[in-house]
Amino acid sequence: MNSTLTVRKIKSHPPSLVSRVLSVWFRHYRVYTQNLISNGFPPFLEPLFFLAGIGLGLGRYVGLIDGTPYVIFLASGIMAPPAMFTATFECTFGTFIRLVFDKNYDGMISSSITVRDLFAGEMLFAGTKGLVFSASVLCVIYPFKLISSPLGLLAPIGGFFTGLMFAALGLFITSFVKNINHFNFYFTGVVTPMFFFSGLVFPLDSLPPYLQHTAEILPLTHSIRFFRAFCFNHFDSQFAFSCFYIIIFTAVVGILAIRRLEKRIIS
Amino acid sequence: MDIKYLSGIVPQENNLDLELSVLNNLLIYARFYGIKKNDALPRIEYLLDFMELTEKKDSKIRTLSGGMQRRLIIARALINKPKLLILDEPTTGLDPQVRQLIWDKMRQLKNDGVTILLCTHYMDEAYQLSDSLIIMHNGKKVLEGNPISLVKDNIEPWVMEVNTPDKMADTRLQGAQRIERTYSRMMIYADHIDELNQAAKGLEDRDYMLRQSNLEDLFLKTTGRNLNE
Repeated sequence: MNSTLTVRKIKSHPPSLVSRVLSVWFRHYRVYTQNLISNGFPPFLEPLFFLAGIGLGLGRYVGLIDGTPYVIFLASGIMAPPAMFTATFECTFGTFIRLVFDKNYDGMISSSITVRDLFAGEMLFAGTKGLVFSASVLCVIYPFKLISSPLGLLAPIGGFFTGLMFAALGLFITSFVKNINHFNFYFTGVVTPMFFFSGLVFPLDSLPPYLQHTAEILPLTHSIRFFRAFCFNHFDSQFAFSCFYIIIFTAVVGILAIRRLEKRIIS
Repeated sequence: MDIKYLSGIVPQENNLDLELSVLNNLLIYARFYGIKKNDALPRIEYLLDFMELTEKKDSKIRTLSGGMQRRLIIARALINKPKLLILDEPTTGLDPQVRQLIWDKMRQLKNDGVTILLCTHYMDEAYQLSDSLIIMHNGKKVLEGNPISLVKDNIEPWVMEVNTPDKMADTRLQGAQRIERTYSRMMIYADHIDELNQAAKGLEDRDYMLRQSNLEDLFLKTTGRNLNE
């Protein structure tokens, strides 16, 4: 373009799929870490409030659950919701704002990024946030000796998959939403009941059978089972089924969501 | 994607990452093209200098004026050394200094062999910058060609804008080729300036303006004066 140009080399072919997806991830990472303190502090505090408020307060009135003290039962599932919430916010409100208000995506897809790269990167980032949020909960509860199995230290992997799964679901919801207030339906109608009926605060077998079956449909149920398997070093066929559920759910909903968003952005 | 990889796009609306600094915006964008940081930095330095933004390198986007953001978006579109640069109303809402600067840079890019596709509502911008232009109306092509010859071939060369049509006696309009009237004004087109000078006799300076016709006159002639929302 100009003789004074000092660029040594700019490759003559577009970057690979992996490098494109990672560049989207990197963009989110850079923006997110701009406000690291306000973004990164709450995940460390929330589990403390939760364990103190529910675990100690309510736990006093609850007996053993399958031979486990209530606070330990609670701690074994408590790494899942932050991963769910962070991925959900990221891929509902976050995505919507980038899509409609800030128009960041328009800028990104005018480079060599495609719409698919964009949302694959977005899901990957939500998964990463899930991993970090779950890990930060672990950091807080581990010193209280609430996790008995050393395998529990690997449990935050579940945060990554939980993040991916809820990113897929969040994007799918976002692909339908035309007005940002419509997310209220999703949060009140889906996310909040999921929080209560997924085996986090009480075991599912205490529910009537029809609610138990309903709970098996909810993604968070399977996340929590994944975490519990690691915390109690107890890997059974239910754990295998939950892994299977998470993979299939993420893949199917993720692909549908990306296809729908692709249509929406390109039209 | 290969085409996207070789082109740069300046969208109508600014879409920079507001939270990030100028440098980080460009670094992240370079990464979208797979350009490594070490290769991107000298390029960014060059582009910031080219767009006269060097001293704003570490500023947050929020603190930049509209004109600076616009220049930065153009710099961003150039990061991959595009062969084709697409601009959608690049100077809308900018002050004359910034517009002139952007035009100047566009000419420089053109001379360096970059193909520029420019979408604009400003006829002076189109006239100044383009080798070939298309006038579009309701999604259809109305005229196409070099701006200078388009104006030469399709519209009378002289025009008088009259602000006080009441003072204009019809008898003095005989030399006119064409007259357009709006609520408060009258536009008189003619082939020769003498005829218009003749028509202007008896009018005061503030009543009229005599000038060469331009691309905007041609645009209005071909697409009509009605609003086309």
